[in-house]
Amino acid sequence: MTETPNYDGKFDAIVVGAGLAGSAAALSMAKRGLSPLVIERGTSPGTKNVFGGVLYTPTIRELVDLDDAPLERYVAEKRFSMLSEADETALSLRPGEWHDEPHNDSFTVLRGEFDEWFAERAVDAGATLLTETTVTGLLRENGRIVGVGTDRPDGRIRAPYVVLAEGGNSLVTERADLKERESRDHVAVAVKEVLEFPAREGVIEDRFRLTDDAGAAYNYFGEGAVGEAFGGGFLYTNDDTVSVGVAYRLSDAAASGQRPEETLNRFKSHPAVAPLVRDARTVEYSAKTIPEGGIESVPDLVHDGAVLVGDTAGLVLNNGVHLEGTNMAVESGVHAGAAIATAARQGRTDAAALSGYPSALSRSFVVENLERYAWLQEAAVADRELLFAELPRAVADAGAEYFRMDRDSKERHADRARERLLDAVGGYTGAAKLAARYRKVIA
Amino acid sequence: MSVSPRVPTVENDSIEDRLYTVKYDDPGDSHLDVKVPGFCAERCESYDCVSVCPADVWRAEDGGVPTIAYENCLECGSCRFACPYNNVSWEYPETGSGVSFSHG
Ligand SMILES: Cc1cc2nc3c(=O)[nH]c(=O)nc-3n(C[C@H](O)[C@H](O)[C@H](O)COP(=O)(O)OP(=O)(O)OC[C@H]3O[C@@H](n4cnc5c(N)ncnc54)[C@H](O)[C@@H]3O)c2cc1C
Ligand code: SF4
Ligand code: SF4
Repeated sequence: MTETPNYDGKFDAIVVGAGLAGSAAALSMAKRGLSPLVIERGTSPGTKNVFGGVLYTPTIRELVDLDDAPLERYVAEKRFSMLSEADETALSLRPGEWHDEPHNDSFTVLRGEFDEWFAERAVDAGATLLTETTVTGLLRENGRIVGVGTDRPDGRIRAPYVVLAEGGNSLVTERADLKERESRDHVAVAVKEVLEFPAREGVIEDRFRLTDDAGAAYNYFGEGAVGEAFGGGFLYTNDDTVSVGVAYRLSDAAASGQRPEETLNRFKSHPAVAPLVRDARTVEYSAKTIPEGGIESVPDLVHDGAVLVGDTAGLVLNNGVHLEGTNMAVESGVHAGAAIATAARQGRTDAAALSGYPSALSRSFVVENLERYAWLQEAAVADRELLFAELPRAVADAGAEYFRMDRDSKERHADRARERLLDAVGGYTGAAKLAARYRKVIA
Repeated sequence: MSVSPRVPTVENDSIEDRLYTVKYDDPGDSHLDVKVPGFCAERCESYDCVSVCPADVWRAEDGGVPTIAYENCLECGSCRFACPYNNVSWEYPETGSGVSFSHG
């Protein structure tokens, strides 16, 4: 390096975005004695953010005391449901231990409230928060990233490190050539409504069989949920509202010609879903995209003077069984913050000095889980017709056959049920192939 | 006993009413545009920007270039990823204007 860049010296680092990853990175740096500036485009953190959703807390609860956090309900039931046009077949899990602390580290939240609270904790720890300010680009000197440009007058701000935590719609990161625009095959469109039930008290508890702070997370797959598309529907209970939505691949949304809001209407009107959401009033309608390229889409995480965290780094596990991004956002922010603190002690800003971040992430659940499920999405896309259309119908038919009440023997019923299933999957050979392919989901 | 039970009617709000549930601060200028109008008018047949938009921002027009009701935008990003010609010009509305969710 020929010249020392002209840092104004006010902040040790600039964080782009006060979402979960950004606030986690800011907290992690502030706790290590650095003074980070967090820049958020919304009027307050959370006003631009949308998710399902369930906040997974194993990492965040090491950072902050969640007792005062605006959590809605803990997840006491996970329910997976296959929908054909007319049928539902579901698996419900209600382990007793989920009622006990720490409630399997799974809580429903609303981001408008939660993100603001979490960013305040970063400020308490020593971070500075600047809202209503959009980062428009990165400043470079001799190839090194030395700060950001913003849409404020005289909006250039310099600092030794920039943490890119702008979420999945990564305009700044893309424009700086640190990431490519994700293909529409690897992005889902999601629409969501927050519903309330004005008619009477206790509707949510009664419909979802809940007491006190217990909550439910329902996930739906199959053609009854999002038609031919790769994706699904969800229902999550909040304290006094319910979040309902659909999320499915953009390329399928484009091909279907059906507007996302129409897909949501159809999902809400499914015979198995309608009784849960009837007589509701829409409190808020929202939409967002989900990056779902998996490990293949993760770009380089460190550069001279910058790191990528959370959705900007593509750290979302969305494979049909799991939809987890909140835990990965926080975990990546923590490791990135720690690596910056280490580099700062050495007075270095080059990518090599920040390599503690990617290596910590590879040792964590984040990379391990993303790698483990890389194959699943591809397999599921390839078997889409079978998994989302044929199987939900076949399983429902087989169930109806198995339990049929007539004057035939049980053996006959079982035979017919088995035939229906084998028919759907291509006989015993097909079944064996499928079992081999998907065994890794649980094995 | 009835053979097929009544599925309760779910009253879905119109898109206008849905968009009415979110707060907007009009930036005054459109943060969305097409980069090369000619692509929309001459090459594009699918109008994917229109199909994927959850807020009825993009509207197909006979002239070929879609109109953009940017004030409705929920800033989800779908149109930017969906356009097969990478022809959507997409900025954030300035200084926090645009949509604000209170729940999210
Ligand atoms: C519909 C949906 C459902 C989901 N459900 C779940 C779920 O149930 N459980 C789960 O764990 N995960 C879920 N996810 C994924 C999860 O929401 C994300 O992985 C997580 O929010 C990523 O956090 P982040 O901090 O990286 O990004 P974000 O939360 O997107 O935060 C980015 C922040 O940066 C700000 N910003 C962006 N650009 C700029 C700029 N140029 N200048 C200034 N500020 C900027 C934004 O306003 C925002 O505050 C879901 C996602 C979606 C869309
Ligand atoms: S999809 Fe792209 S090219 Fe086609 S009309 Fe829309 S913006 Fe134009
Ligand atoms: S960002 Fe989303 S809401 Fe806005 S115009 Fe594009 S698709 Fe429509």
